[in-house]
Amino acid sequence: MAIQIVMDHTGDTRHHFNPEDVQALAKAEERFKKLTGLGFTAAVRTASGEVSKVQSFDPNAEETVFFPRLVGG
Amino acid sequence: MRIHALRQLYRKALAENTSDARGLRLMRRWLSPDQRAEFDHSGSFEVVGCHSGTRYRIYRGTAQNVFEIDDAGWLIVGLCFIPSGELVAGDVMLAQKIALETNENEALAVAHRFLPRGSFARTRLRRPRRHYGAFFS
Repeated sequence: MAIQIVMDHTGDTRHHFNPEDVQALAKAEERFKKLTGLGFTAAVRTASGEVSKVQSFDPNAEETVFFPRLVGG
Repeated sequence: MRIHALRQLYRKALAENTSDARGLRLMRRWLSPDQRAEFDHSGSFEVVGCHSGTRYRIYRGTAQNVFEIDDAGWLIVGLCFIPSGELVAGDVMLAQKIALETNENEALAVAHRFLPRGSFARTRLRRPRRHYGAFFS
């Protein structure tokens, strides 16, 4: 199972999906596009623990985290 | 003694099923092993900016909790940038880490700068992080 984690006021909302399931994968890609379109940043972790920002949906990503647009505090 | 009590409080808080605890658990999972150990020990962790190689220290908090640090670990200047919306501390800190490690220039472009003050100003008078092990032992 893969997971998309969207940060929000509850801590986060998690969307699990089976990357082998074509429909679930399409829904995950749609969610990715919607969130990044709203200004969210998407990031994934490599196996070694390194973090990288992603601009497009990666169907092989096991865990993607989304956080809202940055603003000056 | 105070540090021990704070660590116990932190471990207890981490185990709770609250939005704060969920945010902290998510952040801990995304920290590198060194950052995680550092955060568990001192309540802050260091990141390196992807563009400049500058070192930053992120403290637990939701605002005015990021500082550029020098080679010795002293705080130089504060940088206030946060993800929009009402997010919990763990989420904010994780977003700040990811931003500095993957898109430093964008984070700096929106950040407001401030001088360390209050408890953070006093941090400057303490030993740099790399001496914490000896300091607390």
